[in-house]
Order: sequence, then C-alpha cells, then structure tokens
Amino acid sequence: MDYLNAKSAPAREDRLKTNIAFGGTCAQIKGCISAGCFGKNGCLNLAGRRFSQTYGCQFSLSLSTLNTLRKTVIIMHGPVGCGICSIATVGVNQNFKRLRDPNAEGIIWLSTNLDEADVINGGEKKLREAVLYADREFRPETIIVANGCVPALIGDDTDSILADLDTKTAADLAEVHCEGFKTKVMATAYDAVYHTILKKYLKKPDRREYLVEPDLEKLKEQYRISRNVNVLTVSSMSRQDELELQRLLNALGLNVTFLPCFAEPEDFRYSLESSLNVCICGTHDDYFVEHVKAKYGIPFMIDTMPIGRKNTDRWIMKIAEHFGLEKEAKNLIAFENRLLNESLEPFRKALAGKSAFLAGGEVRIIATAEILQDLGMRIAGFKAHHFDQFIEPVFSALENVDDVLMGVATNQPFEQSNLLNRLKPDVFITHTGGNNIAAKHGIPILPLFGPSFNYLGYSGVFEVARRLNRIIKNSQFNRKLSENTSLPFKKSWYEKDPFAYVRMHEI
Amino acid sequence: MSNFIDRPRYACALGGAIGTLRAIPRAIPIIHSSAGCGHNLQNAINAGSGYLGGGYCGGLSLPSTNISERDVVFGGEKRLREQIESTLEIMDGDLYIVLTGCMVEMIGDDIDAVVSEFAGCDKPVLAVHTPSFRGNSYVGYELVLNALISKFIPRVHEKTPGTVNVLGIVPAQDVFWQGNLREIKRLLQRLGLNVNTLFGEGETLESIAKAGEAVLNIVVSDVYGIRAARKFEEIHGIPFIAAGFPIGIDASAEFLRAVTQTLGLDSAMTEEVIRQEKAIYYGYMERLADIYNDIDLQRYAIVVGDSNYAPAVSRFLSDQLGWLPQLAVVTDILDETEKSTVAARFHGFESGIEPQVRFDTDTSSVKRYLAESWPRNHNERYFDSMQPAVIVGSVFERDIASEFNVPLLTVSYPVTNRAVLNRAYAGVSGALSLTEDLISVLVAGR
Repeated sequence: MDYLNAKSAPAREDRLKTNIAFGGTCAQIKGCISAGCFGKNGCLNLAGRRFSQTYGCQFSLSLSTLNTLRKTVIIMHGPVGCGICSIATVGVNQNFKRLRDPNAEGIIWLSTNLDEADVINGGEKKLREAVLYADREFRPETIIVANGCVPALIGDDTDSILADLDTKTAADLAEVHCEGFKTKVMATAYDAVYHTILKKYLKKPDRREYLVEPDLEKLKEQYRISRNVNVLTVSSMSRQDELELQRLLNALGLNVTFLPCFAEPEDFRYSLESSLNVCICGTHDDYFVEHVKAKYGIPFMIDTMPIGRKNTDRWIMKIAEHFGLEKEAKNLIAFENRLLNESLEPFRKALAGKSAFLAGGEVRIIATAEILQDLGMRIAGFKAHHFDQFIEPVFSALENVDDVLMGVATNQPFEQSNLLNRLKPDVFITHTGGNNIAAKHGIPILPLFGPSFNYLGYSGVFEVARRLNRIIKNSQFNRKLSENTSLPFKKSWYEKDPFAYVRMHEI
Repeated sequence: MSNFIDRPRYACALGGAIGTLRAIPRAIPIIHSSAGCGHNLQNAINAGSGYLGGGYCGGLSLPSTNISERDVVFGGEKRLREQIESTLEIMDGDLYIVLTGCMVEMIGDDIDAVVSEFAGCDKPVLAVHTPSFRGNSYVGYELVLNALISKFIPRVHEKTPGTVNVLGIVPAQDVFWQGNLREIKRLLQRLGLNVNTLFGEGETLESIAKAGEAVLNIVVSDVYGIRAARKFEEIHGIPFIAAGFPIGIDASAEFLRAVTQTLGLDSAMTEEVIRQEKAIYYGYMERLADIYNDIDLQRYAIVVGDSNYAPAVSRFLSDQLGWLPQLAVVTDILDETEKSTVAARFHGFESGIEPQVRFDTDTSSVKRYLAESWPRNHNERYFDSMQPAVIVGSVFERDIASEFNVPLLTVSYPVTNRAVLNRAYAGVSGALSLTEDLISVLVAGR
C-alpha cells in the first residue's frame, strides 16, 4: 500500500468497497465476504438510502483522534460551525489527557471562520493569521489544520501556505484533508488522520549516534526493540482499557506503547523502535500499519478485537505467536479465564436468556456479542455503522448467529427504531448519539463504549457483565419516558420493512 | 471582514437554525448538506447547551440529504426532492423546514424551486438558506424567524389588543432559554398581557402561527431578534421595542415600566406589580443578609458572555448583589453600532462601578484582558490584588479560573458542566436562582 504521495487518503468506498446500507442476516454478510464483495465488484459498495438522517462526516470523526493529541492546537479551516462538536468533549478531553500527563492542556482549537467574502476571495489569509496566532499564543509542538468542505471547494491551496509558514513557526505544521463531502464512509477519517501522522509525525527519533557502536550497546538496543509492541488505540477506549491490555502484554514480557490517541508528537517517533504493530480494531488501522510495514518494515497484526474472553484469548495468542511466546500465553490465558469465569457466575444467573440488540462499529458490536453469549444471553440483532472485510475474524468467537438480523447503517435511528419495535430486545447496547429515540422504546441501554469505563480484556468482560446486571435492575427512566413522550416517526413506518428505504445502487 | 476565532462560543447559521427548530414542537428540519453537518452541530448543541438533547426530532434523527462528491458535481436537487418526499412519508410533523449547508449553496442548487413543488402538501414545507458562511448561530435564529415571519405566519389586519410577542432569546444558544422565556412571560402576564414567546413552555406551532396578531414585539435583547422584529414590522405591521435582557428586580422593574409606557398601560397597576414582585424578591434575599455579611461574600467579578448575559449579569452583580464587576468580555461577532449599543448597557450602574468592557471573540483573549485589568504584583510586600473574585462565564473559562484560583459559575454558552432543565436567570425569579447559584459556589466547601 502506498498512498502517501497523494494529497489525501482515498475514500473507503473506493479503497475497501465499504458498504453503509444493507439489511439481511449475519450469514448473508459472511457470504458477502466469501463471495469477494470487497473485491473489484464491490456489489454493495454503492448502496444508499432514499431517506437518510444525519451522521458523522470524516471531519468530525477525525477530530475524535486529533483532539486527543497532546501539545497540539487544531485549526478548523472552514466556516465557524465546522468542528464545533469539540465543545462536547472540552472537559472530559482534558481529564483524559491528564491521566497520561498531569499538566496536559485541554483541547485548543481555532476556527478560520470563513464567511461570504472568503468564499469569493479565498480563506488563505485567515488561515495564515490563525496559524501564526496559534504558534505565538499557545506554543504547541504541532499545529494541525483540519480542512473542511468550503476551502476544498473554493480551492484554497493550504498545502503551500503551510509549507511556507513552516519556516516561520516554532511548531511543526500538519494538515488533515478530511472534507466531509468527499466520502460517505465516516471511517475514512481514520485514514485521513493516519495519512497525516504517516507523513508528518513518523520519523526516526533523534538518538545519539555512536562513532563506533559497541557490540553490547547494539545488542541491548536490538533486545529492547525486540520486546516492544505498539498497540493502536481507538478514541472510544478508556485509560482503564489501556491499562488492562498493558497488564496482559507485560505479563508476556512485552513493553507497550499506545498510539495514536492521547499520544504526544514524540511518541510517534519512538513507535518506530518496535517489533510489531497491534490493532485493536481491524477497521481502524489497516491504512497505518500497511504503510508502516511497507516503509519501515515493521510487521502488524490485524485480527479480532480484545473484547470478550475468546476474543481476548485469541488476540493475546496471535501476538504471542509473533514472539514465540505461545507457552507463556497459554498459561496466562488459562489463569485469567479461570479467575474470570468464576466471577461471572452470579451475573449469568441474572442475565441468562435475556436478549440484546447491538448497534455501533462493526468490529465492536460483533466482539461485544461474545460477552453476551458468555453470559447466556441471546443476540436479537446487530446494526453496524458500515461493513468491510475486517468483520470476518470477529465472527469466529460467536455461536449460532447465522440467522441473526444484521443491518448496516451509519446511525439512521429511523431504521433502528423500526428494528427495536420488531425485535423488542431486553437491553440495547449502542453507540452514543440517537439515544433520544432509543430511550423512548422504554428499554435499558448500555453504552457500547465509554472512555471512562473498562470494556477491553478480561477485566472488561467482568465490568460489562456487572454494568449490564446493574442497568437491567431498573429501567424506569426510559420506561417512563416511553410512556409520556412520542417518537417522531409515523405509525405507518413501523408497518414497513425496516430496510424499505435502502437502495442498492446510489443515484 | 471577520477574523479567525479562538474557540468560538457559537456554531454556524445552520447550527442556530437547528437549535431554533429544536424549540418548535413537531417541526421537522430537513438538512440539505453533507452528512456531517447535522451530527457535528447536534453534538455542540446538546452538550454546550447544558444537555439539551435531541428532543422530538433532533439529534441524529435530523433528516439530512447527506450529499457527497457526486452530488457536488452533478447538483443535489434530485436528492433533495427525494429526501423531502421520503421525509413526508416517514416523519410525523406539522412543519417541514429545509435548511441548507455550505456545499449546496456554493454549487447553486435551486432549493426554493424544489421546495415550491411541495406547496400543495397537507403540511407546509419551507426553505431557509442557512449556509455556515452566512454567520453564526445568532444569524441562524434570525434566518429561521425571517422565514417564519415572511412565509408561515399569516397576515392579520385586526390585531388582538393586549397581545405581545417576545423575541431576543435564542434557543440553545441561551442555555437557560426555556426558563428565561417562562419568566419573561410570567412578568408580562402580570401586566395583564397575552404573551406569546413563540418557543418554550406551553407554546406550540400554533403560537407561532398566531404571532401576527400581536400589537407589539418585545425584544429582550439589544442585538438578537432585532432583525426579526424589523421584519415583523415590515410584513405584519407590528412595532417593537428593544428592552434589553433583564436580570434582577430593578432591571425587571425598568423592563415592565418600558412595556407599560410603550403600550400605554395603567402605570399604577404596573407599580403595584413591581411592589409585589419586590416583596417576594426581598423576602428571599433577606435570608442571605446573615451569611453575606457574616463571612463577607462580596466579590470582584469577571463576566464573560454574549450580548444578553454580559451586560445583564454585570449590572445585576453590581447593583443588586453589591459585587465589583471589574471586567466584562462580550464574545459575540458584532458590528460597530451593535457594539456601542451593548457598551452603553455597562454605563450608569447605580453602584457607580464601571466595568472595563472588551469585545472579543477569542477565548484566549480573556486571560490577556484579565492581566491588563489590574496592576501586576511586582513582588510587593503589600499588594492589593483583585481577590477574592468569581468568574461568571462559560465552560471555556475553566482553565483561567483554575489558573487564578477563583470559582467559576457557567451561565453562557457553552455550558457542559451543568445539566439545565427549567432554570431561569432572567427576570425576578431568575435573579434569585442566579444568586442561589453564585452563593452556593462560595459556600460549597462549608
């Protein structure tokens, strides 16, 4: 893979033939994978909807990673609304950064506030002023310009402005081309951000060079690198999740660096002194790890997500295999499973037989379903933001899901509402956003992720079980809402097929 | 010519329009723009406005055409037509409003032509041009009102005596909009008026449809809603007064007197209402006579907020609470005329205090003005510092509050550190809540 000579990462509908509109079963989805739908044909690739609701663009999803980078100022290059969603994380972002560095600042961003005059004359002057102000006022290590739709359409030559300004600023300048209209697949954002990281952040660290390198030092260095792994984080993870994965890999004698979320610019350099890049979520990182492998020769592991016992076992085992640590891993897995299994017994008693519907990122929902099956719960259905080839290894931990319903929709609460009405699950496990609709179905809701809760690794299984057990104990809040407020969809909608508005080929 | 903004305290015109429609029961927005606009703006509206939430049809339920590159090349009109049709099929509303984003305006989609095809539908379908580059949330509020005034509200020649509309409180952007509208309504009702606040408790789409019956538009702002009021005057022949945003018993009394005078109401009755309100107000305020004086609860204050809150809070702190507002930063994008109108509100405080007033949209500027507003301590042995102080601002002031080690009460957008339901800060009962919250911050550790 080499897209780094291009200005920006390609859209995922082109690169991965990602699908965002589908209704069927898990068996059908698996069939798509084996039939090569993500190959040249991309038969589901252009599917869309006659009716659609808003969902994140690659600009806002890019921010979910960019905002976590420490010692960084973001410039939203666009009208004043672009990137204003950062307001929602202004407090928690600082708290989470401070879990990594007690002196870290919160999110600092500037909007170039393009107005009608700029649409005609170009926004380059404002961008220049904003960059220079950010450099002088905040003294960050990096300034990242996130490019919105408007400058792309008016043809601002942001690359040359930044190239010119780079000599005038103390900060390193970088740019992310994350124009919302360029892709229908929100997850293209991951590639857009990694594209910038690959081009601007990744360079060999400055280390003292020996004139004549003593053998012992060289061996020490090689040994150190041979025990280092990078674990590629997703912004929906918590610090507790990181600590759990770190604990497990440390137990195998490996050192862990977490990237890219909540990293500081320097961390990316040291990440090149590593033996393996490990993905937590396959659909998050392939663009990065493939490029790093091609350019720096560091191998990678993309497999399942370490949520649930079997998935975590498998994730650890795959890493251990790379280092020849299978025996140690087997011992660790056996030990962890024994402890965890016992701890789940009381929750199994309370939760067995209950049904759950899961909605959110494809890898995450399928992985999380394993916890539910472990607890004896039934999977009523899935709704994935998108689907692509990375879903495949995650299915292997699940039993008897071939007939389970699988919808593909980025958000689209109208389809979700129809599905919830049909399937009537006992609990709904879902991505944030759109819960004003889900709540009115009166069912208890467990967030699919939460940056202050533990979901990953063995401890995550216990935490999810514990919270599910708590949440189903009292769903009065949502039940009362459902009795006293109304849903915005017409009654006739609930009589229609939930996928009635999916169109297999976009106009 | 506008400037870049360090951490803006408002979204764009589209954001303001979404926030305003969020306040109209059963109004269904149809966003004609890229997929991300609605999602991004909803995140800002929900969290920044004290967890306002998506409500009936907001949040990720917002219908949106989600146009992409292909539409940008070939035009998005076909997609818009399809989306309006399907929205009418699925979404259960009484008014459908197409809002536009930047892209479709730049490629020149003829939105009005597409929307006019739906003129014969059971429920009205309107279009409002709200591209981000036209302005911020406050502009979005004006644009939606403008569309309602010119395309939705029927013209009524026979006005209903004693009926007034209230404008100037921008839903979502004023985090306490609903409580504030309720309090303004309560005060005006005490004068025997029939009050239509268009949005908020008890108001429906029907209220908006009846707005043409009013004899007066009362704009509780020097800046917001003024354009709407002019439009009302032009189209519906309703005059207006810009009465300012009242916080506290004195400001509320002035407000009631101004309305009384404009409408030619019985001023004796108004004075009686004011007397009663005062009795209630001081009945509560008297409680604090002990603690205020027992432990010296006077504070210096730094006020950061929009054109409504910054002057109203400063005056309240100065003239009712007996505090010392030293610095006020107004964070809106204003023209020179608007600036001088707002600046005038900071003059003539009864206490004689004259806060330093700055107009600046940049969050980082607040710290600079704070440093300028008081002499520096050059390591003097005896230094008269600006302490103890309180910052009344937005959540963006949290860093500066912790740096200067002063408490913060968040009242202006964005407010992400509080959940806001029916609380008001305007008027008489609003001033009591504001006092409660300010003093609570000071006694929280006791």
